[in-house]
Amino acid sequence: MSIPEIEFKGYGMISTDPSMWSEFQVVPITPKNFGPHDVEVAIKYCGVCGSDVHTLTGGWGKKPDVPLVVGHEIVGHVTRVGEAVAEFKPGDRVGVGAQIGSCGECRVCKAGDENYCPKMIHTYNGVYPDGVRTQGGYSTGIRAHEQFVFKIPDGLELRDAATMTCAGLTVFSPLKVNGCGPGKTVGVIGIGGLGHYAILFAKAMGATVYAFSHSASKEADIRKMGADFVVSTHDLDYYKPLQGTLDIIISTIDHFSPDRPLKSYLSMLRPHGRFVTCGLPDADNPLPTIHAFDLMYNGCYIGGTHMGSKREAIEMLQLAADKGVKPWIQELPMSQAKTAVEGVKTGKARYRYVLKQDLVNYD
Amino acid sequence: MSAVEFKGYALTDPSRWNDLKVSSFQPKTFAPDDVEIAITHCGVCGSDVHTLTQGWGESKLPLVVGHEIIGHVTRVGDKVKEFKKGDRVGVGAKIGSCMQCRPCKSDYENYCPKSISTYNSEYPDGVVSQGGYATAIRAHQQFVFPIPDEIESRDAASMMCAGLTVYSPLKTYGTGPGKKVGIMGIGGLGHYAVLWAKAMGAEVYAFTHDKSKMGDIKKMGADHIINTEEKDFFKPLANTLDLIVSTRDVFSPDTPLSDYLSMLFVHGKFITVGIPDANQPLPSLHPFSFASNGCLIGGSSIGSKKDALDMLELARKKNVRPWIEEMPMKDVGKALQNVKANKVRYRYVLTQDLN
Repeated sequence: MSIPEIEFKGYGMISTDPSMWSEFQVVPITPKNFGPHDVEVAIKYCGVCGSDVHTLTGGWGKKPDVPLVVGHEIVGHVTRVGEAVAEFKPGDRVGVGAQIGSCGECRVCKAGDENYCPKMIHTYNGVYPDGVRTQGGYSTGIRAHEQFVFKIPDGLELRDAATMTCAGLTVFSPLKVNGCGPGKTVGVIGIGGLGHYAILFAKAMGATVYAFSHSASKEADIRKMGADFVVSTHDLDYYKPLQGTLDIIISTIDHFSPDRPLKSYLSMLRPHGRFVTCGLPDADNPLPTIHAFDLMYNGCYIGGTHMGSKREAIEMLQLAADKGVKPWIQELPMSQAKTAVEGVKTGKARYRYVLKQDLVNYD
Repeated sequence: MSAVEFKGYALTDPSRWNDLKVSSFQPKTFAPDDVEIAITHCGVCGSDVHTLTQGWGESKLPLVVGHEIIGHVTRVGDKVKEFKKGDRVGVGAKIGSCMQCRPCKSDYENYCPKSISTYNSEYPDGVVSQGGYATAIRAHQQFVFPIPDEIESRDAASMMCAGLTVYSPLKTYGTGPGKKVGIMGIGGLGHYAVLWAKAMGAEVYAFTHDKSKMGDIKKMGADHIINTEEKDFFKPLANTLDLIVSTRDVFSPDTPLSDYLSMLFVHGKFITVGIPDANQPLPSLHPFSFASNGCLIGGSSIGSKKDALDMLELARKKNVRPWIEEMPMKDVGKALQNVKANKVRYRYVLTQDLN
């Protein structure tokens, strides 16, 4: 294919009026200043993430500057690479997730955990040291440092890989870090975009999976995804028979309610089991109160996680290709981003929206 | 058949929580797996204070507390092969478990959902477990630990709970050479954590608000001592520590827990072994606090027999000696008062004086 010259533009939020959070207009984008380590990507698809909603609505506390183009589940083809880039060449199929920069020098970066670099730069609503703002993937193209670009293996379709770059990675990382594998029992709380991936990956990694959901309508799908047990959280005592059962709980809860104390989840853990919250609620919604007693009875841990490293992303994509992991997605043209973000906000996605870039045809 | 008399210093009136009266009590009904012990020493634990003051909830009455017990075996049940009369042994904060569940079968008997505490618990037959501020105790052999000859009884006593409670998470995490370990709160538990972590080869950061302790903490071997009263004390340590063991016993809504978490390196752990009164939950946390370094907060409950034997072996090999103050058991009221007021340097050990 001939290598296109990218005209950088995207669907952006242009008004800070909270009632206009899902109104998008096509806006020009100033891309990152191209450097020797950069990879330029012509975007084919971009997934729609809960982060997009939290950011557009201002729920995460940082009032976004406008215009703002969100989207960080990006896949496409490489158009050009900087001189220092050896891993990629034009035409390669690649993905970019929720992070687009880090310092590269601190202990954390050197340990391969760049997703925890204190100087990390997010794919949108961030700013580079030279002042250029980062704009996301509801757009025609993006430039990223090669550390944040992942090759998509043959055998994985681009439209399926898109949402793996954030949703998939965000649950794969804690599954991997916390030892998911054969012989382990994993609980997944909340079966949406992230939750459904947690089931698919935990099964692909060989674990036994309990899926927890309050939506009775999802039960048949959840069984098809491969969950070994489906537990309805409608019955407030659902956790009692499951005391001491789970090694790992992946929680995708995005809004914590006071009638659901954390200790009911924690009680389901085996000794030294781990509850990892992947969901990041709005800034005014902290974790429910816990007492040190709640952590003592089974010596359990509560933790969090943030995206994933490139090392984890590559492993995840290969696992997906090897085991035929196929996410449950709904494709929409990118011009319908409003429908998609509103669907995510109201819990309608089954189980992830993927927007097909429709501003420029690269084929 | 031994003629051990069971009596101890008991709580009878919660409004006079540290005024303990000598009373006889009914011991555990002797069973084939049991070991009967004549007590010589018992340490004083924060748990004793939390229980007697009713801070952890209503306690049984009358109640003899104390769970850092050392003594000599007076008799053993038919199923006991590990111990014989005259052996020097210790008992800690747990005294029974179901022995059948998955945790019990994986050397995690301290996490058995049916575990029985050394005091203020009830055996299946209704007998209330009474603790070590007493002449004697009976315990299932799984909860009795042989004391190496090289460790004196007065030193071993507080290892049974304070020592073990911090040793277990230090070990579970893998404390050793190359690891940076933070210890918050240098009291009974905290000082043990410094001693063990150094003995295990780690680099130790000790956190205290008490300047008067700093000379001692240096002698205990801490590599770095940080005063938590200093503004922004945590900032230079961002992303540094692999593990924090916190012995903080008091939490308020203002306790800056997320500042402590920020000191952890990626996937580091903050383990609270301090258990405050029931009306003091942890301060509010948002997942943002965990997202910046993928850290975990955990708890820990004492330790297993396996942990205890490892710990005693470490103490023996590296000649670890705690910083204790000894007094006769009749002065227990004063000891309890001082523990509550943070005056102890760094653990009281009572010598049994009833017989």
